[in-house]
Amino acid sequence: MPKTPSSTPAIELRAVSRRFADPGGRTVGVHPTSLSVPQGEIHGIIGFSGAGKSTLLRLVNLLERPDAGEVIVHGNTLTRLSAAGLRQARHRIGMIFQHFNLLHNQTVADNVALPMRIAGADPARIRERVQVCLDFVGLAEKADVYPGRLSGGQKQRVAIARALAPEPHVLLADEPTSALDPRTTLDLLGVLADANRRFGVTILLVSHEMEVIRRLCHRVSVMEGGRIVEQLDIADGRIPEGSQLASWLSDFGAVGPAASPSPTTRPDEAAAPHHFALEAAHA
Amino acid sequence: MLETLIELAPEILKATGETLLMLAICLSAAVVIGGALGLLVFLTSRGQSLERFRAFNLIANGVINVVRSFPFIILLVAISPFTRVIAGTSIGPLAASVPLSIAAIFYFARLIEQTLRDLPRGVIEAAEAMGASPLQIIRHVLLVEARSGLVLAVTVLAVSFLSYSAVAGVVGGGGIGDLAIRYGYYRFQTDVMVITIVLLIILVQSVQFFGQWAARRVDKR
Ligand SMILES: Nc1ncnc2c1ncn2[C@@H]1O[C@H](COP(=O)(O)OP(=O)(O)OP(=O)(O)O)[C@@H](O)[C@H]1O
Ligand SMILES: [Mg+2]
Repeated sequence: MPKTPSSTPAIELRAVSRRFADPGGRTVGVHPTSLSVPQGEIHGIIGFSGAGKSTLLRLVNLLERPDAGEVIVHGNTLTRLSAAGLRQARHRIGMIFQHFNLLHNQTVADNVALPMRIAGADPARIRERVQVCLDFVGLAEKADVYPGRLSGGQKQRVAIARALAPEPHVLLADEPTSALDPRTTLDLLGVLADANRRFGVTILLVSHEMEVIRRLCHRVSVMEGGRIVEQLDIADGRIPEGSQLASWLSDFGAVGPAASPSPTTRPDEAAAPHHFALEAAHA
Repeated sequence: MLETLIELAPEILKATGETLLMLAICLSAAVVIGGALGLLVFLTSRGQSLERFRAFNLIANGVINVVRSFPFIILLVAISPFTRVIAGTSIGPLAASVPLSIAAIFYFARLIEQTLRDLPRGVIEAAEAMGASPLQIIRHVLLVEARSGLVLAVTVLAVSFLSYSAVAGVVGGGGIGDLAIRYGYYRFQTDVMVITIVLLIILVQSVQFFGQWAARRVDKR
């Protein structure tokens, strides 16, 4: 694989759209939207339920085919690839899910090995990567256990190890902590931040929990009605005053600690994050 | 009854052998051909990775339904010219295996398709996101995650076709059903009828017991 200059964005969406007809006959989904995520960034997508966050994320690896527009990952225009070319490109795009999506009839080690087996890597290399990635998520001693015996947090760690095994350029995460309790959420955010620091993997993360976004992301795109309505730099953990996001937070009673956190809070601290579930507020 | 049993022992053994032969043939055909057909029907259904071959899905679904709506005894008679071409004869266990296999193939295809539908969509999607080809999805996801369901499907198939193979006896298919009809029914030998029924019950129970045991063994969920 040719080395891409680091000026190439990790993810570039150019005027992509994906429309669905909802039961009421209105069209929903993602309007023509553009997004550029530089290499090494952790980029959040936040918004109310139905805003199009998951659809936008799934456009990046073409699990959702755009009606129009281009998807470029590490300089590779996915929307122009053949089926085989797309499969090849997907080998280097990891993905984790809210409900983990592990194979329950395979051991933890075999789950982590799966993407590399699919990519046709050689067995010695697979063993090595499985070891490295399970060590990284702290589950080396669970290698021979079946996922049914793991807690939710451990399952998501396995899923992270699985996503990292083929050394992806990009990691896509759709509500990866939404099924987990606050403490486990913090632990996992720590793992993701670590993966970003140690392996330089670019992360695009969807969440409706402000705390998750604020603790983990360098930048955030705010989505509403199928569009990105705002993009903010939150690398310092602060939500800029006067932003759409800040006004939502104050509308839904979530100003204060979330909008202006103390600069010392970090993902590895044990304090439970506040859950500002925009989804709940919306209902 | 004991005398009858001893007297007819060679016949009973032969009949059991014939039944097992018919089962072996039709189950193999069903697992290989019906299994492949079921997988294809599943993969070409809406939202799956071969959805672009929806035409195949519609046609295959239609054919499966048509074949499955034939009462077995009618299918048996209806395809007898075809049976003669394939088996060279229309009587005996080998000939009976032809309609049995056809019925079993389409029955199993439907069973498999339904078993696969129970898999959570997310696991298949995870494999697609990893860049898995349809064949890799079959091998690494479907056959792995659905394996206990697949074992149970084979069990249901074996039990159903044990009784279908007895029906095949009516038209000279041989086997345990044939025995029951020749002695138990036409000659009013109730003890033979009882023996054959006991034999069938033992076969069904063992198949069911073994199938469930195997399904549990392979299920790690
Ligand atoms: N496959 C689909 N078919 C039809 N409509 C869809 C499909 N996928 C998404 N939609 C619709 O598109 C809109 C955006 O959905 P999406 O899942 O992207 O929202 P979201 O922001 O992820 O919401 P949530 O926070 O609830 O997960 C919704 O109205 C949804 O109903
Ligand atoms: Mg979503």
